[in-house]
Amino acid sequence: MNTPESLIIVAVAALIHASFQLSVSVLTLLSSHTIGAKRSHARLLGLTNAFALGVTIMTVLLLSTTALLIKLKSSFIDQTALWVVACGLLFGLGVAVWIFYYRRGQGTSLWLPRGLARYLSDRTKATKQSAEAFGLGLSSVVAELLFVFVPILVSALVLIELSPAWQLAGIGLYTALSLAPLLAINAMIGSGHKISRIQRWREDNKRFLQFASGGGLLVLGFYVYVDQVLTPTVLAAANGGL
Amino acid sequence: MGKVIDVVKRDGTRPTERFDRNKLHASVLAACLSVRSPHGEAETAANSVCDVVISWCETKPEITSSDLRRTAANHLNRIHPEAAYLYKHHRLVL
Repeated sequence: MNTPESLIIVAVAALIHASFQLSVSVLTLLSSHTIGAKRSHARLLGLTNAFALGVTIMTVLLLSTTALLIKLKSSFIDQTALWVVACGLLFGLGVAVWIFYYRRGQGTSLWLPRGLARYLSDRTKATKQSAEAFGLGLSSVVAELLFVFVPILVSALVLIELSPAWQLAGIGLYTALSLAPLLAINAMIGSGHKISRIQRWREDNKRFLQFASGGGLLVLGFYVYVDQVLTPTVLAAANGGL
Repeated sequence: MGKVIDVVKRDGTRPTERFDRNKLHASVLAACLSVRSPHGEAETAANSVCDVVISWCETKPEITSSDLRRTAANHLNRIHPEAAYLYKHHRLVL
C-alpha cells in the first residue's frame, strides 16, 4: 500500500469515526445546561473547549496506543490475520450501525444502555469546572469505544506501515477529520447559535448519518478486504503456481 | 395553590413527591435561557407555564411527571416553540 492510498484509508476511517455522535450529543447537552444555568459566555467557552480538548487527547491516545501495540506484537501476529479480523469487524459494525446506532422514536437517543446514558447526562449537568469538562471529553470517547475502535484499528494497521513522519501526519489527519463535526458545533455554540437549531438539525438528519456511517463501514471493509486480504492471497497463489 | 398535589415519578421507580412550582419554574426558565432568550422574556414564559400547569393539575388528586412535562411543553410550545423543543427533548439527546 503506498502513502497516498494509506492516507485515504485513514481519512475514510476518520470520517466514519466523525459520524459517531456521542461526543457531539454530550457537547450539546453541556452547552445547553451551561447557558440555561446563566453562566457567562467565557465559562461556556472554557467548558466546551476543555471538553473538545479531552476528546482530542483521548482520540490521539487511542490511535497511538493501538498502533504501538500492533507494532510491538507484529512479529507474533500474522498481519493478514489481523486484516481479516478488521474486515470482519468493519462488516459487523456496519450492519450494527444500520440496525441499532440510533434508538427508534424522537430525539437523538443513541444505542447506549439507559443507565449509562443517565449517568453521562447527570455528569454533564453537574459539570461546572473546565477540568470536569476535560474528563467528560475523555470519557465520552471511551463510552463509544465499541463503535470507534474499529476505524481506529484499521487506521492503526495502515499507519504502522508508514514512515515515522507520515505516521505523525496520519495521526494528525485522523484526529482533525474525526473531530471536525465536534469542533464545528463547538464554534457554532461559541458564536451564539441556538442549541435548539443545532439539535433539531441533528435529529432531522440522524437517519442519513446512520445510513452513511454504516454504508461507509461496509465499503471500507470491502475495499480493505480486496486490497489487503484477497489480492495478496491471489498473488501468492499465482506466484506459487508459476 | 391551596391543594397539595402528588407527582408520581417516571416509571414509578422513584418515590412520589409533592408538586413544586419552583422546580417547574426553574426547568422552564432553563429551557428558555438555553435558547438564548432574554432573561425577562424567559421569566414571563416560565411564570405563564407554571400558572397554566397549576390550574390544570388543581382538578386532579395525583399527576405523573410525564403528564406534567407534557402539559408544560404544550403550553410552552404556544409561547416559545424553540424552548419547548429543548424542554421536550432534553432527555432524548443521549
